[in-house]
Amino acid sequence: MTAPTSAPGAAADVVAGSPGRDAPADTGRPPGAQRSGAPTTAWRDRLLDARPVLVPVAAVLGALGVSTGLAALAGATPVEAATALWEGMVGTPYAIGSSLNVAAVLLLVATGFLVAHRAGLVNVGGEGQIAVGAVAATAVGTTLPPAVPAAVALPLLLLAAAFGGAAWASIAAWLAVRRGVSEVITTLLLNFVGVAVLVLSIHEEALLRQPVTSSETLPQSSPLVDSAHLPLLGLPDSPATTAVVLALAGAVAGSLVLRRTATGVRLAAVGMSRPAALRLGLPVDRLRFSALTTAGAASGVAGGVLVASVPYVLDEGLASGYGFSGLVVGLLARGSFTAAVGIATALGFLVSGGINLQLAAGVPASITQIAESLIILGVAGTAIWTVRRTARPTRTRPWRPWRRPATPDRTGTEATS
Amino acid sequence: MIPTLTDLLVASVALAVPVLVAASGELVGERAGVLTMSVEGMMLTGAFASVVGATASGSAFYGVLCGAVAGLLVGVLQAVLSVLLRADQIVTGLAANALALAGTTFGARLLLDRGTTVPGFARIEIPLLADIPVLGPALFRQTGLAYALVAAVVLLAIVTSRRTGWGIAVDAVGQDAASADRSGVPVLRVRFTAVLVVGLLSGLAGTQLALSEVHTFTDNMTAGTGYLAVVAVIAGSWRPVGVAVAAVVFGLAQALQFTLPALGVDVPFALLVMLPYVLALLAVAGFVSHSRPPAGLNTAFVRQGRLA
Repeated sequence: MTAPTSAPGAAADVVAGSPGRDAPADTGRPPGAQRSGAPTTAWRDRLLDARPVLVPVAAVLGALGVSTGLAALAGATPVEAATALWEGMVGTPYAIGSSLNVAAVLLLVATGFLVAHRAGLVNVGGEGQIAVGAVAATAVGTTLPPAVPAAVALPLLLLAAAFGGAAWASIAAWLAVRRGVSEVITTLLLNFVGVAVLVLSIHEEALLRQPVTSSETLPQSSPLVDSAHLPLLGLPDSPATTAVVLALAGAVAGSLVLRRTATGVRLAAVGMSRPAALRLGLPVDRLRFSALTTAGAASGVAGGVLVASVPYVLDEGLASGYGFSGLVVGLLARGSFTAAVGIATALGFLVSGGINLQLAAGVPASITQIAESLIILGVAGTAIWTVRRTARPTRTRPWRPWRRPATPDRTGTEATS
Repeated sequence: MIPTLTDLLVASVALAVPVLVAASGELVGERAGVLTMSVEGMMLTGAFASVVGATASGSAFYGVLCGAVAGLLVGVLQAVLSVLLRADQIVTGLAANALALAGTTFGARLLLDRGTTVPGFARIEIPLLADIPVLGPALFRQTGLAYALVAAVVLLAIVTSRRTGWGIAVDAVGQDAASADRSGVPVLRVRFTAVLVVGLLSGLAGTQLALSEVHTFTDNMTAGTGYLAVVAVIAGSWRPVGVAVAAVVFGLAQALQFTLPALGVDVPFALLVMLPYVLALLAVAGFVSHSRPPAGLNTAFVRQGRLA
């Protein structure tokens, strides 16, 4: 038995929304996803199908309303606040570029989240995985000889980042698979440890800290060699980097794997019912392990991207906030990569806008986090109206009283209830 | 050696009390079947509100009142989401924490001035007992609030023990909500109240941290203590004594980061910062497999036939 755990379906599906017509990207899901408790009329069906779209929209509008009120409390008139926000989001080519860069990082984290989520795992560990991925990337990016061409240096750096993030997530994955510990708790705790690893590595000269020459030397790494810098996209006056392309490619790849390959179907099977997947003979443990590790790798790459962008150093605040925002994108996307791209972009612009809100209108930037968390509370809180579920989880373990199940189901709810 | 050991114990107890108070609230919540991840947010909100209240009124007692009410309000939010709306308990808990972190950071910019003195609680020495070597200063030189909170924790453990009607109701609701419902236990009311208890105690834990120990509010001042409280419940195998021991161990682990550098031990600070969380991971990984959580933990209750 395990601790507080999200039964694969329960935690996942409450927020994942009803699978089916609302998310076009979801057509790859096997039949059976659309179980409905009671016979419903066509129109009720249609209304229920519309809700998963209507509710997030309502949540966003509500969050915007609250945020406007808070901005007014902070002394900015709605017009002032909106102007500052708009300027920070799309006012200049520079603002657009940096918004896109934020969006790219969020999309990378969200892509990983969606992969793990398909297998019924909730990856809360984005922040720690970003931190460790960034540390690994910095280790590569600062030690490579400058003569190495970018065509070699960048892939090496990103590979190291992916490996770092994957290694970090594999701790939680191993504990989930072997010891039945909820990945929510472990990835959450690993965030704190991962950020501490980052802090440790930039405070110790033996690790990644830049050579201390005076008492003024900041605790951060040396700058990366030039060849390990992510190239800009080349848009005029825009700081947008190739990370945008990388993140989009990642999302497309993730979407293809989940929708068009056998692996995707297997992951979905594991996510919907582990006992059923076991009965089908699927390597459930291996699939869950790889799904969470892949999520870690994606977040790790996000960390690598952050280090390989301006100012090309590893510092203490590097990972902060991206993990949670990436999780927000993944949750709101409800399994759809198309939605994830859109939401990551919107949130990326919102985050940049929030920074300008602080600079130009004096409204604390944490207002964007308030808006984000309100949206999540709104969407998760209304799940009972938007998600159709069967009344009770059914007993799905094969009836073989004479034999212990091959892999004891440790997560509880569905096997024991 | 004796003075340094004393320092370590003093710091451990100082850091263990908030974890203990929050964890004993969380214990009641989890026994009732509600996994409240928002302890962190409740503590932070409690700490913030207590500092705002104490500064505005000039009295630490009003600060405690504000901290308790603020914790309760987050508790109401979580209870509505987890119990009435049957939302995902973990996701809403984490979102509530994010909301609390951002909200208090925002509020601190507006409401708190740097450098104003916050009315706090003074330490009260218990005569004779405080003179016991090593243990005395750690245990018997606390603030009045700390004594009151520890008393409240003991009282709560007694009131919700398995020998009282309340305790049995809490366990019944957490183990098998459907059977409890059939036997006439008001499942939703018990669960809702349990989450309120979590909110109240977590808010007070944050208050203790702010008004008895730190005497000010800083952004994200709980910095993960609430998660340690949640883990302490798991590590303590859902038993009050076990939870208390786990809370003390986490307090000790947190205290090392302040005491070891003072001793001149050359350990990187970041290693000490991660220590409690590494311990928490080990605890979760090691203890979970041979202790049983309440069977209905993290499962919403709905009476048969209503959902379909």
